[in-house]
Amino acid sequence: MIRNFFIIAIVAGLAAIFVTLFWNFGDSTTLTPLATHYADKGAAEVGAPNLVTSIVVTYRGFDTLGEVTILFLVASIVSFFLKREKLQKDIELKRETSEIILTASKLLVPIVMVLGVYVFINGHLTPGGGFQGGAIIATAFVLLLMANPDFKINHRIISIVESVSGISFVLVGVFGILLAGGFLDNKVLPLGTFGKIFSAGAIPLIYSFVGLKVGSELSNILSNFQGIQKEEM
Amino acid sequence: MEIIALITGFSLILIGLYGILSKRNIIKIIVGFSLFDTGLHVLIVTVGYIKGGTAPILDSVVGTTDVASKIVDPVPQALVLTAIVIGLGVTALMLAYALKMYQAKKSLDISDFKDMKW
Amino acid sequence: MNLISPIYIVAVSLGIAFFMGLLGNKAQRSSYLILLAALLFNTFVSLQWVFGLGSGLVEAMQVYTAGFKPPFSINLLMGLNESVITALINIVGVLGAIYMMSSLKKNGTGSQVVFLILFMSLNVIVLSRDLFNIFVFLEVGSIALAGLIILQKGTNAISAGFKYMLATGIISGILLIGIIFIYRFTGSLNIDSIITANPILKQGAFVSAFLIIIAIVLELKSFPANGWGLDVYEASHPGIGAILSAASATATYFVLYKIVDIAGSQLNYYISIIGVISFVGSNLLALKQENSKRLLGYSSIGQIGLLMIILGFKDILGENTTYVAFGILVSHYLAKAGLFWLSGIVKQKNIKGWAVIRKKPYFLFLMGTFIFALIGFPPFPSFFAKWTLVMDLVNTGNISWVVAILFGSMMEAVYMIRWFGYAIKGENEDIKDFKIDIYKIIPVGIFAVALYVVGYFVAPHTEVGTAINFIPLYFVAAIFILDFLPVIIKNTLAIVGMILYFYNIYPDLDNMRLIFEAIFMVGGILTLIAGYAYKGKRPGFYPVALLMYAGLTAIIEAQTTLQFFFGWEVMTAGSYFLIIRGKRSMPHGLSYMLFSIGGAYALLTGLGMAHVGHASFSMEILNGISYLPYLAYGLLIVGFLSKTAALGLHIWLPGAHGEAESDVSPMVSAILLKAGVFGIVLTLIGMGASNNQYSELAYALGWLGAITALAGNLMAVFQEDAKRLLAYSSIGQLGYIVLGLAMMTHLGWLGGFSYVINHFLYKAVLFLTIGAVVMRVGTHNMYQMGGLIKRMPLAFIAVMIGIIALSGVPPLSGFAGKWLFYNAILEKGWYFQGAIMFFSGGIAFMYLWRLIHTVFLGQLKDNHRNVKEISIWFLIPIYTLLAGIMVYSMKPQWVLQPLGNMIAKWFPEGQLQWVGETAISQYGQWAGSLVAITIMGSFIIVLVLLMLSTRKAHKVKQFDITYSGERPERPETTHVAYNVFEGLYKAMWPATIPLVEAWWNKITEILHNIADVTRRIYSSNGQVYVAHIVLFIIVSYLVIIGG
Repeated sequence: MIRNFFIIAIVAGLAAIFVTLFWNFGDSTTLTPLATHYADKGAAEVGAPNLVTSIVVTYRGFDTLGEVTILFLVASIVSFFLKREKLQKDIELKRETSEIILTASKLLVPIVMVLGVYVFINGHLTPGGGFQGGAIIATAFVLLLMANPDFKINHRIISIVESVSGISFVLVGVFGILLAGGFLDNKVLPLGTFGKIFSAGAIPLIYSFVGLKVGSELSNILSNFQGIQKEEM
Repeated sequence: MEIIALITGFSLILIGLYGILSKRNIIKIIVGFSLFDTGLHVLIVTVGYIKGGTAPILDSVVGTTDVASKIVDPVPQALVLTAIVIGLGVTALMLAYALKMYQAKKSLDISDFKDMKW
Repeated sequence: MNLISPIYIVAVSLGIAFFMGLLGNKAQRSSYLILLAALLFNTFVSLQWVFGLGSGLVEAMQVYTAGFKPPFSINLLMGLNESVITALINIVGVLGAIYMMSSLKKNGTGSQVVFLILFMSLNVIVLSRDLFNIFVFLEVGSIALAGLIILQKGTNAISAGFKYMLATGIISGILLIGIIFIYRFTGSLNIDSIITANPILKQGAFVSAFLIIIAIVLELKSFPANGWGLDVYEASHPGIGAILSAASATATYFVLYKIVDIAGSQLNYYISIIGVISFVGSNLLALKQENSKRLLGYSSIGQIGLLMIILGFKDILGENTTYVAFGILVSHYLAKAGLFWLSGIVKQKNIKGWAVIRKKPYFLFLMGTFIFALIGFPPFPSFFAKWTLVMDLVNTGNISWVVAILFGSMMEAVYMIRWFGYAIKGENEDIKDFKIDIYKIIPVGIFAVALYVVGYFVAPHTEVGTAINFIPLYFVAAIFILDFLPVIIKNTLAIVGMILYFYNIYPDLDNMRLIFEAIFMVGGILTLIAGYAYKGKRPGFYPVALLMYAGLTAIIEAQTTLQFFFGWEVMTAGSYFLIIRGKRSMPHGLSYMLFSIGGAYALLTGLGMAHVGHASFSMEILNGISYLPYLAYGLLIVGFLSKTAALGLHIWLPGAHGEAESDVSPMVSAILLKAGVFGIVLTLIGMGASNNQYSELAYALGWLGAITALAGNLMAVFQEDAKRLLAYSSIGQLGYIVLGLAMMTHLGWLGGFSYVINHFLYKAVLFLTIGAVVMRVGTHNMYQMGGLIKRMPLAFIAVMIGIIALSGVPPLSGFAGKWLFYNAILEKGWYFQGAIMFFSGGIAFMYLWRLIHTVFLGQLKDNHRNVKEISIWFLIPIYTLLAGIMVYSMKPQWVLQPLGNMIAKWFPEGQLQWVGETAISQYGQWAGSLVAITIMGSFIIVLVLLMLSTRKAHKVKQFDITYSGERPERPETTHVAYNVFEGLYKAMWPATIPLVEAWWNKITEILHNIADVTRRIYSSNGQVYVAHIVLFIIVSYLVIIGG
């Protein structure tokens, strides 16, 4: 009782701080100067119709590098954290996977994969991008795992995809310093025609690497959890 | 519009915090964190909202002229993407921790992990 | 000139990290080498910027993402500050990776990747100028750390890691709210443009800035919302502790430094408040801590608190901010990493277990270096930083801050020195020894050496630091390196070195300084001669003894207050090491050090107050202090009294002097105590000498001297231990000196100075002789001795002359002091104090009689039947000093006339008149030589007569007596010396209750109890820690925004 009261008091205290933010929030009818710059100059400077993408990949590309790193980091940690004294026994499952999932997975996995690739390749044109595409690809693996709990993801391939796409991302960034304005500059490739798939310089390339990397990292994390799950059952 | 989103965001954060503080089960605490994060993400997106604005994509509707008056702020949308991925990473690692903690003590009650004191 | 862009730190680290993912887990060996190469590359990049920017050859560099200018893109800035901080971080990276070699190899490529990414992220948060980018890489860093925590096996590491994730999760959530709303209210994420936009204009923006700053403050593990941090320090691999404390905290602190201005300067004051709470709170709670890694955690948090105080005061410290912050930061960085690494080698959880390094001098050297650097001793950078900080704070009227900071430092000194004491002197018989991995020792050694190097280069950067004379310290270092040589060589080197140094220095000194320098140096040389009596190598003795003398001479030579304080601290450190060498000296060494540090802090504050209103730091500023003069002079006097062991500050002395080695006791008694006297002389001259503007202070000092004299002598009477008896007697004698000086008259000072010289002579004789006797008979207890006159007649003669001189009866030199004293007291009109002096003089006879009677007269003990005369190496200095006493006694005018002329400079009134060899005062006259010759002549006549008349007397042998058949249960009670003053005790016992000791013990106990109760907030429950964090935010909000 006292504990609950105390917790509520703490939550209420934090709420009181939020109230100040809330009352001062005000209306907004115009963009910040920063956003206005992106809106007005983004198309010319970066050449991608999707302004969010131009910010994510180019203007704030450095954040994206951090994000990719976080996933990579978590994948690495989870792999050495959960791998210890792994038993790897195949245990009898309590019941068969249902027919619906089995069929659906066969049908859907290729389509989902293609969708993921589509989303990251078109990241500079339409809503979506490397992270979204990568996450979609990873869902295909989730589906596979659910359909077939013994399914073994080939770690070797995954880590090669993961590493190669990561290195390529960094390399494209470095080319930006050498050939264009700075680290992660997309103008290492020509900007091309605005609105076409091969445009916006290196953005589709970078987003493809990001998509592959995110997809493989998420799958990697998943497969590590799968490994330990067997141990627990 | 913003008011609803703001209230939702702040409420989710507070509910998440309540969960983190009150639930003893580690998995539930992690769920609390996810709520907390989601609230944050709602807030971030709300901050970028402009009355009457549309998605910041220069498609046929928006065109390429006078863009600034038609779209919502793209910056928070870029930020939220990063924030979501970070939240995902943190959650994954916390779950890995939860697994290990369960292995160590066969318990998911956080008050069973109080060996280091003072 | 083209330097490698800092962006390559990121690009190369990430590229290599991704590449290592390709290698797979089988290749840990080669991937470990790649990891080292990457970390070395990072270090190289930041170091070239340090040199480039430091020498002014290149300009600071901005890196723009994709070539767009901020605020439209993320930019990195590599300026001088950034280059130094990243260099520090990357160096820990390289050495940390070497230190953790086996762990990183064992855990495979994954752990190495995490390690590399951690350091990459720390570099980015230092370099980045974009709030959200800093957030992203802070997250990268915390996740990487959460990964590295579990390199240590066991549940503790896992649960600590989870708590760490909970805490940093909440903190980064708060940070993100702040960032997103500051974007809302200022329209930017770039630190520089937010600062230009000045967000305090808008209320919401200020709250956002508050949230951002408070989140970073919490990341720094501010007390008391830091239980999670402590758990991590305790549970993780010591290598990770080092990284957390040295690299991660450094980087986060720099983030705070960068962003603090986004709230204008409004939050600075509160950051200082949080800092001081952290500093004092953590150090206080650490008092009860016995787990070494957790203790280091407490200390780390405390040090960061100190750095936050400095940051909050940056507007006041002005251009000194960087210097002060760097000095504290780099000392903490090197020392804390070193101690964490050391804890991983020693492998002792409990600090008492560190006694395992007791017999390993190099380990003790490493540990001592780190600990003394942490508590701010010279020659380490923290010393100069603390000095500048205190000077500036006092100068701007922030005395209460100085008090708080010094109180926190004091607590830190308590537990650090206690820990070091366990390592030097603890019982180590049951402790398992450890094996030493070379690769683990290398980083520790590098950091220890770095502390000296950095200190050496930091010193000249203070305005006055350039003048510090390092020559004696070089000599100490040389002797330390030669420590493997036998005693005979080192002793000769030391003596020759001191002779040469004294010969070079004495022409530059004025008379007053020359007296003290002569006591220090000549006394030092004489006591060192006794060192030839020791066999073997006597490891560690010579460096520390010379360290003390180096400090003592630095005090005398000091032209500036900084030099003076430098010397004072060097002397303190040296004497501490000397004292703790004794057999049962651990607790006494600790209390000596604590009183010394407390005194030194009083001194430091006093010196700071003296500086107010002056541009210079010359010693002249002690004259006529204008800022709160009573307090300033009072603090200076208290500081110096801690060294003279005035009543109330004396409890360290008996143990420290009594338990010290035979030739160390005279060093720390006859010689060292005079350093305090020298300080009091300087202070009293500063107070205006004959003007005596602050007569109330002098009056109080006089009473303190009188009571100290009485108490010291009284306590000496009841001692059974010969060396403690002498130690208490020193307290009493110093009381006389203080009283004499406090009179602030010509005669008073003449008496005081004559006591200074006298006390040096006879106390050195007595301690040397008794020490040498103790070496022969193997006990300190007087009732276990007796009849030694037959075995050691030369020692007997020395003690006899010594006690006659001490007791102050004619014909020996002590009488001169007494005679001057009573004249001075009558002149001054302090009759009551005079009565006390007279009474305590009578008491002195009782213990002196006992010293000679029970040790040398009476029956010889069976087990002493074959002891030899004391060593010739002791007899040489003893008889040299005795010659000094005799000259002084026979020709007192040789000493007193020059002294009088010297004192006349300050006290021209009321001088003694000399007619030939006769001194004439207002109240009478005294012809020293005549009295001496007459009395000695009578004595010799009587002695000869007695010897002639007793030639036919029957000598009673020891067994010519008959017992009545009883066997005493406790044989020692039958000794004539045992409890000999029982009657007096019955009369005087209330005066002997160790009230002072009880008082200090009570204070210690109260502090420890507060620590013990308060630290229970760290319940080890992760949810409680989260609650602490949120509460911390709420309370800060209420105080800052609401208040």
